[in-house]
Amino acid sequence: MRRMSMFPNADHTQTAFTEDAIWNEMQNEQQNLLEELAALSTRDRIQAIRDLPMSFKEKKHIRKELELQSSKKSRQFTCLADCSEKLSLFSRKCGYHVKSAKQTLKLWQGAMKSIGGKFGTSVLTYFVFLKWLLMFNIFSFLVNFGFVTIPLLVYKQTPNISQIVNNVPQNVTFRGLEILTGAGYFKYTVMYYGSYSNESLVGYNMQLAYFFTIAVYMVLCGISLIFSMAVNFKNNYVLADSASNSAWQLLCTWDFSVTNEKAVKQRRNNLCVQLKESLSETAQQERLSVSEKLKHYGINFGCWLLSTSLAFGCAASIYYLCKYEIEATKNDNWSLLEEAKTLLVPFVVSLINLVIPLFYSLFNKFEHYSTHRKQIYVLLIRNVFLKMSILSVLCYYWMNKVPAKGSGWESMVGQSLYRLVLFDFLFLMLGSFFGEFLSKWTKLIPRMGVPEFDVARNVLELIYSQTLAWIGIYFSPLLPAMQIFKFFILFYLKKVSLTHNCQPPRRSGRAAQMQTIFIFLLFFPFFVGALSIVAYTAWSLTPSKSCGPFRGLNNSFSAVDVWIDDLKNITGSQWVVEIYNNVIRSEIFYFLITLIILVIIYILWQVTNGRKELIRRLRQQIVNEGKDKSFLLERLQDLQKSIPNKSMKQHSYDHSSGDQSNSNAMVQALLARQQLEEEEKRYSIGGVPVPSEMSNSSSLMQAMLARQLADQENEDQYPMHDENPSSSSTLAQAMAARNRVEDEDNNQYDIFNRSSAVTQAMQARRRAEDTEDDMGDLPHPVSSVMMQVMQARQQAQEDDRIQWMTAPPQNPGPSGSSALIQAMLARQAAQNEYDDGY
Amino acid sequence: MGTTASQLSKESLSEYQELTFLTKQEILLAHKRFTELLEKHEKEQIDARVPKGRIITLPELKSNPFKERICQVFSTSEQKDGSLTFEDFLDLLSAFSDSATLEIKSHYAFRIFDFDDDGTLDCADLEKLVNCLTGETNDAKLSSTEMKQLISNILEESDIDKDGTVNLSEFQHVISRSPDFVSSFKIVL
Repeated sequence: MRRMSMFPNADHTQTAFTEDAIWNEMQNEQQNLLEELAALSTRDRIQAIRDLPMSFKEKKHIRKELELQSSKKSRQFTCLADCSEKLSLFSRKCGYHVKSAKQTLKLWQGAMKSIGGKFGTSVLTYFVFLKWLLMFNIFSFLVNFGFVTIPLLVYKQTPNISQIVNNVPQNVTFRGLEILTGAGYFKYTVMYYGSYSNESLVGYNMQLAYFFTIAVYMVLCGISLIFSMAVNFKNNYVLADSASNSAWQLLCTWDFSVTNEKAVKQRRNNLCVQLKESLSETAQQERLSVSEKLKHYGINFGCWLLSTSLAFGCAASIYYLCKYEIEATKNDNWSLLEEAKTLLVPFVVSLINLVIPLFYSLFNKFEHYSTHRKQIYVLLIRNVFLKMSILSVLCYYWMNKVPAKGSGWESMVGQSLYRLVLFDFLFLMLGSFFGEFLSKWTKLIPRMGVPEFDVARNVLELIYSQTLAWIGIYFSPLLPAMQIFKFFILFYLKKVSLTHNCQPPRRSGRAAQMQTIFIFLLFFPFFVGALSIVAYTAWSLTPSKSCGPFRGLNNSFSAVDVWIDDLKNITGSQWVVEIYNNVIRSEIFYFLITLIILVIIYILWQVTNGRKELIRRLRQQIVNEGKDKSFLLERLQDLQKSIPNKSMKQHSYDHSSGDQSNSNAMVQALLARQQLEEEEKRYSIGGVPVPSEMSNSSSLMQAMLARQLADQENEDQYPMHDENPSSSSTLAQAMAARNRVEDEDNNQYDIFNRSSAVTQAMQARRRAEDTEDDMGDLPHPVSSVMMQVMQARQQAQEDDRIQWMTAPPQNPGPSGSSALIQAMLARQAAQNEYDDGY
Repeated sequence: MGTTASQLSKESLSEYQELTFLTKQEILLAHKRFTELLEKHEKEQIDARVPKGRIITLPELKSNPFKERICQVFSTSEQKDGSLTFEDFLDLLSAFSDSATLEIKSHYAFRIFDFDDDGTLDCADLEKLVNCLTGETNDAKLSSTEMKQLISNILEESDIDKDGTVNLSEFQHVISRSPDFVSSFKIVL
């Protein structure tokens, strides 16, 4: 952070510095950096070097230097160090290999790039999300197939059993409609719960395998969702700016990945419009009258009412449809017509899912919300509500009505889930065909223009279908295979539809936050809902009597009970039984866990509150410092105005003094800058993520002022000082004072970053340049004085580094400006005298 | 250094891997793309420079409003002409890669936005930035009063120490609070 920021404008300072001094400074800087890096472990060091914002050559140079140093060191050690070095090198190499292997395995990289290149990151989030869900399903498929299906297939292959198990009835043939309904022939395949056996295959307990595979998969899904949610939430909400439409938000999020000429042009236009909007937004807010507001609220209320009742209506109609279905499919052997009747429910459900959101979008056009974001959120909430109500009705039906039908009910639920997943897929295809293809071709409504890709709606569709897959995992273990197929096709379909029919989104922005919301939605109502459905099924519902792995048990969970009972008889596994009885089955354990978690939550909450308070105070402090600074700046300017008038009347030595103070100010400037860099370094090492930066530079400012005063005084009192003895002693004094200042300064060093020292420095330099102009430019060799100052400075810095390392002082205290002033004064005096002597 | 332009040696490849955020494939691809930009006689040359004019013909940079600034910032050329060596090119890709840290990204973003290279974003820089992003020849260009208002808004938001300019740390503070930055500050070959 520091090095590059220090010398982007080194050529300006060159006028006042000799090349040597700068060279020295840079060397010194580099030396510090090297020492710092050498102290790190190899892995950290590589990381740190990579993180340096320098050009490649500089990094390489630093690496070489470090290698030289470490090779010197390692000669003193024995082969142990050598070994560890080699080991770390090896592990690093492995890391690179893994990284590049991952790179190769990345799916759809080119496609993603081209989408991002044309439509930007916000549309890309849909595809990233899709890919993420696909990974879930691939994992789920592998687990289920590996631990549940393969053992069953192996079991079935065993010759003497295959006649008994392979029980597809003679009269059931493949009729073709099964692909849609998932019933009939499919009923007897490994697709559904019903065809899994409950027998153990040479020590492989099918019941336990089935139970634990699903349990572990659900738990892993939950954990990974929580993790990604937490990370996203932290990055995108807690740290994010609360202002929704701030100018920087718009400027910073320029998409560098957009490479399409037309898209760039459009983005520019959009950005322009958005900037204008953001400028006029505040004004617009105030202009709304009461009646207008009432009107807006009325419309909003009406829309809410309408959309909620629509959702309820849909749910009710699905409920009656389900009832009808149960009536229609009473007997076991379905005719083709009966089989076709089962398609009614999934058809209607998918139709609702396709059509109703369009209505919601229409309502949304009439409503008025203060921000675009609010509008999107409202739309999201309504859609989620709709999907939730549909799913809950279906689940109620599956959990309550279907089990009453008797044996094989799990397979029936599995079939209806299969149908839903399939129809969902078909309707997604139809939707993108009609929604996106057709609305492009029929330009009947020119007002609507080329459609935009509605990320929120599309993502919700994905979430919905994933929820179906999660619910279905118990009833139909191979449903993920279908889901994989579906998502795979969907990716290409959406890509084609997007590139051919849609225009880039009119509003950029908030992609990251939207993604967080999607993950949250996926977790909260949908995943948690699916999990509770599966858990309810496993704990409370009685499995079918004649088929499935859990036949003959009261509920699926009692498979574990049976297993534990078995374990009791085996010596050496008593501890498992103990743990099961005393931990898993005891209420006290859960009570304690809950208690502990509550306590932790409370503590963390308090810490958060404390941090918030801290942030508020720090902000206040910055504002105060800013006020101080502007006040001092004014004072400085006043003084500055008064100086030239006076000094013009002085004798010729004033020129030299002016020149002196000029270069002096330069030195100040550079020193201040360097000081800043130092502080920054510590700051970054400390790694305290303080969101605001504090300027401690008002002390510096005061020092400047003081020096200015001193200048004046010196000029006034010049005759008295004339015959003063050797200037070098005064110089030494100055150095000492300066050192002291450094020390004191350091002690007050708190977590604040004194960034505004840069500004100070700039100011000082500007001032110096001004004075130079005023005084006329008499070249005066001041380099020797400066060099001394620099040396003293270096010394001081070394001192304070040692101090800092031994005991990092954290206490914020009053500014040590008085000491600084003293120092400045002393040095000023010394320099004046030195000048005289000269 | 140590590399002939036509082929990457194993050592330099591992060095590149160590010092940048790029993976092996990305480096090889970058190398391929870079050598395509070189003239025939330069291909055997060590440390050949590709002039700015040719770099910005890359499709990834072609329509980027900051293409010239990007070349300037990553160029290590003595003449400050924005020409890039292969290592500079890798630096560029590394800073714009997925795995680069926020700090690196914000640092380079700051330097790209700092049009006059003076270490702070002052009003002139900000105006240039806005013009660059909205397109200067646009009909819907911001009027001068709007521009003034916008710049004062920007300073209001980010200039914590009220000195009229945005310095690096203030800029990084702003960036750390806009979560979309990391994903959008990205160029992939």
